[in-house]
Amino acid sequence: MSGFDSSADLDDEQATALESLLLRLADDEFVLAERYTEWQVRAPSLESDLALSNNAQDELGHARLWYDVLEDLGHEEHELIYERDPDEWRHSTLTERPFDEGDWADVVLRHYLYDVAEQLRLESLAESSYAKIADRVGKVRSEEQYHREHAESWMERLADGDEGHERLQNAVDRLFPHALTLFEVAAPTSGTGDASGDEPRAVDDDLEETIVEAGFRDASLEALRAEWLSIVVPYLEDLDLETPVSEIVHYDDYDLEVPDDTLPEALGRDGTHTDAWAKLHEEFTHTYRELERSEATTIMAHPE
Amino acid sequence: MIWEVFRQEEQGEYHTHCGNVHAPDREMAKQFAAIQHGRRKPTNNLWVVPKTEIGELDGDEYAFGGATDKSYRWATGYDVTADDASEVVESSGEQEDAKERRNEVV
Repeated sequence: MSGFDSSADLDDEQATALESLLLRLADDEFVLAERYTEWQVRAPSLESDLALSNNAQDELGHARLWYDVLEDLGHEEHELIYERDPDEWRHSTLTERPFDEGDWADVVLRHYLYDVAEQLRLESLAESSYAKIADRVGKVRSEEQYHREHAESWMERLADGDEGHERLQNAVDRLFPHALTLFEVAAPTSGTGDASGDEPRAVDDDLEETIVEAGFRDASLEALRAEWLSIVVPYLEDLDLETPVSEIVHYDDYDLEVPDDTLPEALGRDGTHTDAWAKLHEEFTHTYRELERSEATTIMAHPE
Repeated sequence: MIWEVFRQEEQGEYHTHCGNVHAPDREMAKQFAAIQHGRRKPTNNLWVVPKTEIGELDGDEYAFGGATDKSYRWATGYDVTADDASEVVESSGEQEDAKERRNEVV
């Protein structure tokens, strides 16, 4: 497949598909980092506080890398983060859910479910036909490896105690459905294609097809989801944690089946969000609006 | 428990004590140490050691060396007179002459 060195090589459909792919990536990282920072000075120990803050800082850096690629498509960072309508955000609802107050198991489980998915997603972008994406995946992957190990360390240690195990099970019950939205198809934003701008956009399977056909990502969402399930479900089961997923065994092979009604009402990817999103969005855009800012502050000229 | 952390900046150098982390076990100690002690300064390698495994010896229990005046081992510790110096000059002159006789470049 021929590669794309710049956005000038893309047709309209490809540009819309690339935008959709990048928004999912960037918004997930940004919103999750926003939530992580709520734990600052509140984590169970100074060390765990620093480790989670470190992860939050990494995720913000990654978000910035992806928002920067979106600038190829005519966007600007301050517009994307501080001026975009909350309905135009495309992150998974897993990243926006508020934490149960003081529940460290909640952040640990979320961190685990997200970072396994993130690793798979990055693998599928390593050979991206859009050169700038492939260039940036290496840096991001090196940091995500630590995130996953850190999450697994905590998972195993929490699951080992009665209270920790119970808290983790509650977190699985609450968050597993939201984690599934990581693999849902996105709706295009209102500024693209034939959008009227007023109506919520329907999800667009063509968009997802174009993402794979153009080689922006080399695995479909369906394949990523199946791989993710095949990692997280046995892992959670080993820790005696129950998920809504059941195993369908055919001879020596098996399938993992997720009941249709497991998905939450709001999917995030299609622009619908849970109640918690409006408040979070209001919080992180508040200062920007209050100070009547019109740009994002950067220290380095380029985010690399 | 407390784990003392030692950082090696470059391969071949000594690990130097740089602080400690609280962690329930070795694995978590390594993960925390990586963030706290391996991110901001150049690091090639980190050690984490349980504080309780460190043997400690105090100056109250043992008279450490290093405090005795050993300046007699150094030439600078002596008052050197002009006579002594001329002997040295003479001696090194003889060495040079010997070398020349052996056709060695001085």
